[in-house]
Amino acid sequence: MTTGKPKINKLYAISSQNSKYVFSLPLKNIIKIGKRKYEIKLKHDEKFGTYILWKNRKYPVEVVRSRQNKYEILFNDISYTFTIETPFGYKRLKVLSKQKGKKEKEYIKAPMPGKIVDVLVREGSQVLTGEPVAVLEAMKMQNEIQSPVSGTVIKVSARPNTNVVKDDILVEIKVEA
Amino acid sequence: MKKIKRILIANRGEIAVRIMKTARKMGIKTIAIKTAVEPSAMYLSYADIVYDDTEDESEIPVFLNIDRIIEIAKKTDADAIHPGYGFLAENAYFADKCLDNGIIFIGPSPDSIYKIGNKTIARKIALANKIPMAMGSQDNIANEEEAVKIAEKIGYPVIIKAASGGGGRGMRIVRNPEDMEKLFIIASREAEKAFNDPSVFIEKYIENPKHIEFQIPGDKKGNIIHLGERECSIQRKHQKLLEEAPSCALDEKLREEMGMIAVKLASAAGYYSAGTVEFLLDSDKNFYFMEMNTRIQVEHPVTEEITGIDLIEQQIRIAAGEELRIKQSDVKINGWAIECRINAEDIQAGFAPDPGKIEKLSLPDEDYIRVDTGVTEGSVIVPSYDSMIAKLIVKGHDRRDALKKCKLALDKVWIKGVKTTLPFFRMLIRHPKFIDGSFTTSFIDELNQYYYNSEYEEMIAAWLATKLFIEENLSEDSIKLDFSESREINPWLLNKRLSQF
Repeated sequence: MTTGKPKINKLYAISSQNSKYVFSLPLKNIIKIGKRKYEIKLKHDEKFGTYILWKNRKYPVEVVRSRQNKYEILFNDISYTFTIETPFGYKRLKVLSKQKGKKEKEYIKAPMPGKIVDVLVREGSQVLTGEPVAVLEAMKMQNEIQSPVSGTVIKVSARPNTNVVKDDILVEIKVEA
Repeated sequence: MKKIKRILIANRGEIAVRIMKTARKMGIKTIAIKTAVEPSAMYLSYADIVYDDTEDESEIPVFLNIDRIIEIAKKTDADAIHPGYGFLAENAYFADKCLDNGIIFIGPSPDSIYKIGNKTIARKIALANKIPMAMGSQDNIANEEEAVKIAEKIGYPVIIKAASGGGGRGMRIVRNPEDMEKLFIIASREAEKAFNDPSVFIEKYIENPKHIEFQIPGDKKGNIIHLGERECSIQRKHQKLLEEAPSCALDEKLREEMGMIAVKLASAAGYYSAGTVEFLLDSDKNFYFMEMNTRIQVEHPVTEEITGIDLIEQQIRIAAGEELRIKQSDVKINGWAIECRINAEDIQAGFAPDPGKIEKLSLPDEDYIRVDTGVTEGSVIVPSYDSMIAKLIVKGHDRRDALKKCKLALDKVWIKGVKTTLPFFRMLIRHPKFIDGSFTTSFIDELNQYYYNSEYEEMIAAWLATKLFIEENLSEDSIKLDFSESREINPWLLNKRLSQF
């Protein structure tokens, strides 16, 4: 570690649902629950791939995504997303979240790969929360893509009979104030 | 009676494997079709003969290409075709084509596929035979205006169904008159796309029913029996996720009554082979005929487990002209079976398909567990087919025992590379409404959380994320970890961002 800067003594893991876990550094292979301490081991072998050994049981783990300080972890077949912050970063985050205003634009994205079979809105259309904006066919099922907000459609990128990948932007909506 | 010596499997995946296992047991040779989409699929290794169709340049998948399948059957000298489920399994024209070409179709007659498969005709047969049904339209509905009129007469909520439908496609529930037009168009369009037939009809929607279906085998001489029921109420968007047999909602009297009605309907349609009569059972134990499926079903193993009858074997024997050797009085239900459909789906993203390569796979091997699968470690779940990885079937002495064993079995499944429905089943078998048996088809819609994680699991995941961050940013060491294919950057290739600190 570089000298001359304050030493980091702990890290915060903040989940997408805003649960906060604090780990002191150096990170120990121990998780404390109440007063009891449990050893946690990260292992890897040919048969199971990477796994965590916890209370005599193996749990599968995978890293789905990692970008900067954001990690999506698959643990025991469930995905968790955490942002890791230093004490300084955590403080800044708290300040920022207080200042954060309302979202102005909503991007409606394809929730899964598939084919757009119908687009139900045009630029300028007014939509209400829950109103379908497009129909996506994936794995032989047609799914209505609904708007999560009320507002005005400002851009329609989805075209009927075209394939989309997950997270492709379909429609842009200016959120009603 | 013509003996079947060689069966062409017009299907893929676990059902192809399932059919080939029984065929082998019966001393019948099997032919599997190798496609460009899945050239190294597991089912190919179970076949005696593999027909290479990887050069097929046709736009439609081979399993839906009637002329091509017939051509392959002729080239490979097959005397019978088993369609499995899905694809051409309930296509009367295909069954007819097989007969025209002197090939045995392992399934019912083209005539009964047509009659029963078309729900409007099936409803008429049911009506003529006094089979209890939900109130509905006599015929197909021509347009939105007519739909609105009929729905007014029946009373909302109503359900729009595809006349040639199945598996939830072309099906929509309408609660308010103002939604009718929109949903009618969606249902009709979906029906056209899926079944080449846009016709739909309307029925009174039964609120919160149980989905109970009866397994039928019948022979060409008109002997038809039932093998008890399956409980399939755990569904999402009309797609079944878990099935069990028998159902705790039925007592011996109701079972006999519903079973006899199922047999009556199948007889009226001149049905033979394996088939399933589906009913809705309301909270007052009134039951309504819904539809009949003229194929082997995904969930057939639970019936096999409690009756000891191999349904594929029955299908093959009946197709060859043999008489049913089992009488209704021979059928004994023994124990309790539960099937979990382990699919490559992201339950946290509304059960969206999560295709990809299965990096690690370990399925349990115990005497109370049966696994039907068409994949192995390294197999790829391709987006063009269904997302099934495996069917985990457990058997217990009674429901309580089956649930206990199911819980154990779920923890013995190890899959990496794709997200799966496993956490959903782990939640389900702990849910009080599932345990006490009071669940209905709306169970999944009413859930607040679709998965189970035991206490501290999130904390462990947080620990791991923190560990990763440290390895990447604060130290020179690296740990070996599995990364999904969808990763955006490999953290180990990142510059160590030491300067940040």
